[in-house]
Amino acid sequence: MGCCYSSENETTEQDSDESKPLIPPPNPVSKPPNGTDWMPTNVPSARTDEQALLTSILTKTAQNIIDVSAADSVMMEQHEYMDKARQYSTKLAVLSNSLPQKKALALPSLTSQPHQVLASDLVPYSDVQQVSKIAAYAYSAISQIKVDAKEELVVQFAIP
Amino acid sequence: MTTAALTAGLERIPDQLGYLVISEDGVLASAGELENDEHTAGVMMQMVRTASRFRLPGSAEPPFKRMSVVLEDFVYTVTVSGQKVFVVKRQNNQQEPIGV
Repeated sequence: MGCCYSSENETTEQDSDESKPLIPPPNPVSKPPNGTDWMPTNVPSARTDEQALLTSILTKTAQNIIDVSAADSVMMEQHEYMDKARQYSTKLAVLSNSLPQKKALALPSLTSQPHQVLASDLVPYSDVQQVSKIAAYAYSAISQIKVDAKEELVVQFAIP
Repeated sequence: MTTAALTAGLERIPDQLGYLVISEDGVLASAGELENDEHTAGVMMQMVRTASRFRLPGSAEPPFKRMSVVLEDFVYTVTVSGQKVFVVKRQNNQQEPIGV
């Protein structure tokens, strides 16, 4: 016996279905979590519609119950946790190999003798003045850039 | 390199008014006018990071050894070595002021 509920079946077999449960009981092997036996598959004709309905509700409820006590078997053992942790840290170590390169790019080594570089003479004033002047000229030049419209942007082609 | 070895040379720099040694994690050493100057450390770190992003065509390394922040009375000289940023505040004895 199938265990799928179908509205189509219901309409076609309406006459004979009146005395049957709306949903046939599932696989006879499966039992509800509380251990009680299922109703017999062949319901006696004397059974009223009300009882059939009750049975269907019971069946539906039993199907929807999630047996929490059965979930215990899925629990991980201590060593399984350790295995997973080791697996993740190995993966992270492999991935983080690409990170130090990025860090090195952010802070490059400019010199191997920092003290000498810092103690050497300051930049001559004339050099600083020259750079300031060039920067000022560049700034001035950039600020004066403008569009000088001389022709129409959209041109009509000579179409006869 | 120990902190003492890092700073010993900085103490002897002529006209130095103070210094900072900064790593990625924060200030490692400080002295003089820059003692515990976290603000200047942060600004200098950002400036040197920005400056070191410049590259000349065909060159993989930044085209400078030292960054100088020149002000009227003093100069901040900054360099990077061994993942540490060195900042030394030095007196600016050059007389003429710089027009900004």
